[in-house]
Amino acid sequence: MFILKNAWISIKRNKGRNILIGIIILIIACACTITLAIKNTAVDLIDSYKSAYDKEVTIGFDRANMMKDFDPSGAEGREGAREKFDNIASFGVSDIESFADSKYIESYYYTYGVGLNGNNIEKAEIESNNDMPNGFGHGKGNNMSSTDFTLTGYSSLDAMNEFISGAYTMSEIADNAWDIAFDGNYVFINEELATFNSLKLNDKIKLEDVDGKTYEFEIIGIFKENDDDSVESMSMFSNSVNTIITNTDAVINITNGNENLKPSIYPTFIIDSYDNVDELQKEFYEKGLDENFILQTNEELALSGVSSIKNINSFATTFLVITLIIGGIVLFVINMINIRERKYEIGVLRTIGISKLKLTMQFVFELVIVSLVALILGAGIGAVCSKGVSNYLLESEINSSNSKSEEINKNFGGLANRHGLEGGMHGKGMPVVEAYDSIDAVVDITVLLELLGIGLILVLISSIASMVSIERFSPLTILKERS
Amino acid sequence: MTNKKNVNYVSKDELGKNVVHKKQIVNNEKIEIKDNEKGNKEKNTSSKNIILSIKNASYRYSDALKDDYALRNVSFDFESGKIYAIRGRSGTGKTTLLSLISGLEKCTEGEIIFDGKSLKDMNLDKYRNSDIGIVFQSYNLLPFMTASENIILSMDANGLKIKNKKEKAIELMEKVGLKESYANRKVLRLSGGEQQRVAIARSLSYNPKMIIADEPTGNLDKQTETEILDIFKKLAHEENKCVIIVTHSGNVCDTVDVVYDLKNVKEVDEKNKI
Repeated sequence: MFILKNAWISIKRNKGRNILIGIIILIIACACTITLAIKNTAVDLIDSYKSAYDKEVTIGFDRANMMKDFDPSGAEGREGAREKFDNIASFGVSDIESFADSKYIESYYYTYGVGLNGNNIEKAEIESNNDMPNGFGHGKGNNMSSTDFTLTGYSSLDAMNEFISGAYTMSEIADNAWDIAFDGNYVFINEELATFNSLKLNDKIKLEDVDGKTYEFEIIGIFKENDDDSVESMSMFSNSVNTIITNTDAVINITNGNENLKPSIYPTFIIDSYDNVDELQKEFYEKGLDENFILQTNEELALSGVSSIKNINSFATTFLVITLIIGGIVLFVINMINIRERKYEIGVLRTIGISKLKLTMQFVFELVIVSLVALILGAGIGAVCSKGVSNYLLESEINSSNSKSEEINKNFGGLANRHGLEGGMHGKGMPVVEAYDSIDAVVDITVLLELLGIGLILVLISSIASMVSIERFSPLTILKERS
Repeated sequence: MTNKKNVNYVSKDELGKNVVHKKQIVNNEKIEIKDNEKGNKEKNTSSKNIILSIKNASYRYSDALKDDYALRNVSFDFESGKIYAIRGRSGTGKTTLLSLISGLEKCTEGEIIFDGKSLKDMNLDKYRNSDIGIVFQSYNLLPFMTASENIILSMDANGLKIKNKKEKAIELMEKVGLKESYANRKVLRLSGGEQQRVAIARSLSYNPKMIIADEPTGNLDKQTETEILDIFKKLAHEENKCVIIVTHSGNVCDTVDVVYDLKNVKEVDEKNKI
């Protein structure tokens, strides 16, 4: 207790020096608060990005494995590859449901496509291929090349990658479209197809399968395909004119029990962690997935959008380290001078029997008291400044992200936010707007705890001077020098 | 080979009575036995209450050459209730001996026994803040503290648990001849003699068995010197403390019960060769 009392007496006695130490620690604390706030905000943003990107796994061909035994230049090689390709065991809706029943999978969705012919509408005559390339269905899209239209069913909004990426944009949409889109025979058609057949919203179209069975659908939306090169297309279609969009149930109703129809299926699984992909793949193989398929993730894509934020994070880290090094050195030097000035006091206290440990503790307490006051003030000032500074640094990121989020909503006809996209967008684009609104709350308990940790490190570094000096000084020598 | 010499001389004691001094020189030791006129020898000659014993203590600085000793083969005994002077010319190792006795340095060779225990086996911080009190020529008080705060600091270092430490500090100050009004004065505002009294009061704050004083009157005038020495004498004779004064003052040597004379190490070596 008397050590604390002595420390307090010393602080009061050496006001000037302690104010100087306090100012330096205050500046360091202020800089650290701002830096930590920026750093933590950047980390939050990165997390936000990562969480905005669901951890997705899709099933793709292991092309390298498939082609390794064939000479791609020879006709025989190509034929062999095709044969092998045809012999790959495909999977259907029931397989996907079986795959999805895994502890690693949080949710899943899929698109389900089938080729149909027009009954009361005509195929738009364009030089294009309306196949579904790379399809994993029974016919792998082969049968669809001979049909007029591709009816593609989506299991949810999340599955509608083309709209999320901006490849498709809804140009007209029924008010209740998203209420009924996934439950019944409702379709979205291409703007050009609508023009070609003079179709409008709420018109009914008839399609028939290869056996001549007819199915009726109501048009609840008209979309257009963006040919803007800048839009990163993730579409599986090269051209969507003759693509008719509906829900998976509608496609399943058509394909059920009809062996002649060869639907294509594209599943996407949302997993809990990218670390489990290998385990999941093993599990899929055990459940019957052909070993020519492999699991592919969107990890690379998820991380690609955060490079600028990572730069800010790196900058903040570097600045923090430099601040701490310079601050630490300055404090160390001041304390060295402090100790030299107080050699006599150390000598007297050692002579009257105060142990080195207690004496060191007294010097440490002095620093801790001064540092605590300076840290609290520094954290306060830093909290006020960090809001402006961090938001200034991150402003462009926020604007870019917000506009992107708004754009996605626009692609769905401006109504998607009411139907589960907000906060839960399985974004192939950008994080949701809400994630950025919290950037202002930069100085939180984490920052304060980190600051406290930094303060303690600084105190310890500065105290090394006193510890070494107290250990090294001979009290008698000190007192003799004084005499 | 020992080298002995007996000398007698007479001086006055504190009551003005004649005191006969007998000196015996043994190598580098000079033992002075003091009797009063009435032949009362019991206090000084019959007591064997040894509180501190220095046995063949030698000290060499860590950076010194192998045979370059600051102090060599010193053997003294100190008893409770007596006041001692350690005398010697500059360079004879008086301060070194004081630092060894006070536990601020450790013997290179030999040992020091305090109250039956070797200093080597003792916690020297505890020894300094419980068993001995140290008084310096330059007082070594903390200038930013008041007289009473300096004394209380020493009590705190000792871990003394009493309710009113300031009251105790004032009591100690009065014991060494300082008025209560001095308690709240910064020590820099006190005279040399007053500061030395505060230093003595500080050394008494935890009632140690032994007081070690390094040239305690070196900076003081004759009158103050006498007053300070009187305090030491009272501590030894009335409170049964062992008081060791390192000095080269003849006045101090005349006052104390026993004088130990330190010779220069080289001088001793030369004598031993003969």
